[in-house]
Order: sequence, then structure tokens, then C-alpha cells
Amino acid sequence: MRIYVVLIVAALCVLPVATGAQEKPFVQARGSVVPVPLPPGGPPPRMSDGHVDLSGVWFPGPTGKANAWSVVPEQRAKEDPIPFQPWAEAKYKSFTRVDLELGSANVNCSPVGTPGMFTDNAYVHQIDTKPGQLIHLIENNNRWRVIHTDGRPHKKPEDLEPLFNGDETAHWEGDTLVIDSISIDERTWIRDGWFHSDQLHVIERLRRPSLNYLEYQFTIEDPKVLTKPWTSTWMTLSLGHEDLTENFCTRNENVEQLQKLAEQQKAAGKK
Amino acid sequence: MRATASLACGLLVLLTWSPAFAHHAFAVEFDATKCSDITGTLTKVSYENPHAYVFVNGKNPAGETVELTFQLSSTSNLKRGGATYAALNGSVNKEVTVRGCLSRNGTDNRYAASFIKLADGTIQRVGQDVEGIFGTKLWR
Repeated sequence: MRIYVVLIVAALCVLPVATGAQEKPFVQARGSVVPVPLPPGGPPPRMSDGHVDLSGVWFPGPTGKANAWSVVPEQRAKEDPIPFQPWAEAKYKSFTRVDLELGSANVNCSPVGTPGMFTDNAYVHQIDTKPGQLIHLIENNNRWRVIHTDGRPHKKPEDLEPLFNGDETAHWEGDTLVIDSISIDERTWIRDGWFHSDQLHVIERLRRPSLNYLEYQFTIEDPKVLTKPWTSTWMTLSLGHEDLTENFCTRNENVEQLQKLAEQQKAAGKK
Repeated sequence: MRATASLACGLLVLLTWSPAFAHHAFAVEFDATKCSDITGTLTKVSYENPHAYVFVNGKNPAGETVELTFQLSSTSNLKRGGATYAALNGSVNKEVTVRGCLSRNGTDNRYAASFIKLADGTIQRVGQDVEGIFGTKLWR
């Protein structure tokens, strides 16, 4: 409840600013918005089996719409440091900014995987749930996943194969849907250069505390890379009323440009 | 005063949630210290992903008229922000002004654009705030 009070107070703070704008200079044009959060909107809907219905079009952040042009700096909530093993910490810290760009699925247009579809994705999600199943559509590069939510076990070890989203199954813990993923392709990142091993185990949690809000949290277990499991803070998404739009990654010039920059920096001895 | 209040309130909002971070950081590839307003004739719009592009016949830093390439955001961000396919194409063969930052790697005439003033005088935001004008420099 506290978050809603904070959001509503913040929205009231913004109103005089939004209505007081007169002439705008070039750099303060249309599209540069201060976020105004949605109200809670009432209790969440429920499915015929009594579980919370997570269905909706969900935008990252509290406004129920795109926030790409927000005038407010992006802030990452305070989280525990990633408990890397020493060799992994050294590798992680060795990445240059250009390395991180070149390795980003959003630059090279490769699959973001699990949990990258939430942690490395500023775009819109559509979720459709029915008893026993969740369908997750991801606007960014037109991705999708379908997950059984009946608590069935993972595939037998001999039937597993590396998959970008992993072998996924889900069950309900009260009003929280818990998605359990293993056998995730090592080419994906958790986020921002955080690489993983073939032993990665991702536990995602989705809950809908009210009509207008969806919350997401994930836990990473990776005994080859981390010293102990790590759990994120809860990420907020909010209910939008727009359709997803087509977004195929086809004209990718950044890789070539960044590779050229990397070669120049290497020659200059810069990190 | 109003701007300060706005920023404080906005920060209050954002500190309560952990966003999925931006698509990726333009400031790595483009130089925030080499930005300028560039006026010329819009010749072509490529409305694609991961980034759209606009091409403008304008003057390069040496004062020569050449075709300049401006990288924009994704079509998802553009259309939701108002810079639709139709809005941009309406200025083809007309004069526009673009706020652009040069590529760091020396590729000739390649910029990231943050804003465009279209032929009808409307201004659209079209890309990341590489310069950090709003304090929104998108780097972790």
C-alpha cells in the first residue's frame, strides 16, 4: 500500500508542472514527459479456478504507457551486490562499455532469454492467463513463451537441451505465480554483462497486487558463477490500453559501428 | 523552482520502482561533446528496428553539403512518442532541423538524433538524450 501513497503524492506534485508549461525550447518538446503513476485501480481480477488473472498489456514502470521520453533519470533500486565467485567478478569487471554494448542482445538482436525478457527489455509485454497456462508475448523483437502453470515437473534430464528461455514450468504460491527455468543457453545474460553457466536456475515471481499493477521478481542460482543465490527487488509494471506493435530487429548497424570503435580503443590502449 | 519541484517529485516516483533499463546506451557509440543543431533537406526515412534512420542533405562540420545519417530510437518508441511514420515522411524533400551527436568512431556524417523540428514546425523527440540535457544520460 505504501507505494501507492507515494505514487499518488508524487502525481499531485507533478500536476502544477504539467499544466504550467508555456513556450518550450527545442530540447523540451513534446514527448518529454514526467511520469504520472496510475492509481491502484481496485482488486485484481481472478480466473475461474480462483487464481489471480495476470492478463493484460503491461508497460515497465508505473504510468501504464511508454516511458522512453521521461525527463526523470532512470534509477535502479538498491539491491544486494551480485555474489560473483572471484574469477567471475574479475571477468565481469573486465568488460568495457563497448564490450557490454556488443554483448547486449538489444544490440546484436539475439534472444534476451530468461530473465532478460524483463531485465533487458524496456518495451511492452502482453500476458494472457487461463487456468493451467500463461502465454507471454514480448514486443521487443516479437518474442513469446508459453508456460504450464499446473506445477508439472521439468523434462527428464536426458530430454533437456539448451534453450534461450529454458525449460520452464510454473506453480502458484498463494497469489504469486512462480516460474522455474533451467537448461538456459549460456549465450544469454542475466542483465548488463552478468553472464551465467549451464547450471543457471531462474525462479521468477509474478503477482498482481491490484488491477493496474503487475510486479516481477527473480532469483538466480548459479553454483558455477555465484557463491550463493541472489534475489532482485520487485520490478513494477502497469496496465496499458494499447496493442503491442510489430518490432522485428532487421536493420542492425550498431554491431559494425561498435566493432570499429572497439578496434580503435584497443589500438589506443583505452579501456 | 517549478523545475526543481518536478524533478524531486519525479525522482520520488522512480525511486519506488526498478525499471527495465533502456534499449542500450547511445552514449557509448556517439559523442555527447560533439552535438549540434543541423538544418537541411530530409531526403529519406527508414522506419525500422532496432533503430529507425533519417537522411538529411546538410552541412558537415567542414561546411560541405553532404548526406547525413541520423540514428533514431526504435519504431515502438517513435510511434508512441508521436514521431509516427506519417509524421516523419510528411517532411521528406522539405527543410528540417535535427539535434545530432557525432559518432565516436569517426564514421563520416553519422549521428544519433535526439530531436527533430519538422517542416510544419512541430518538434518531435526521436532518440536518447545522449547529452544528458535532462539528466537522463542512459548509462548504468
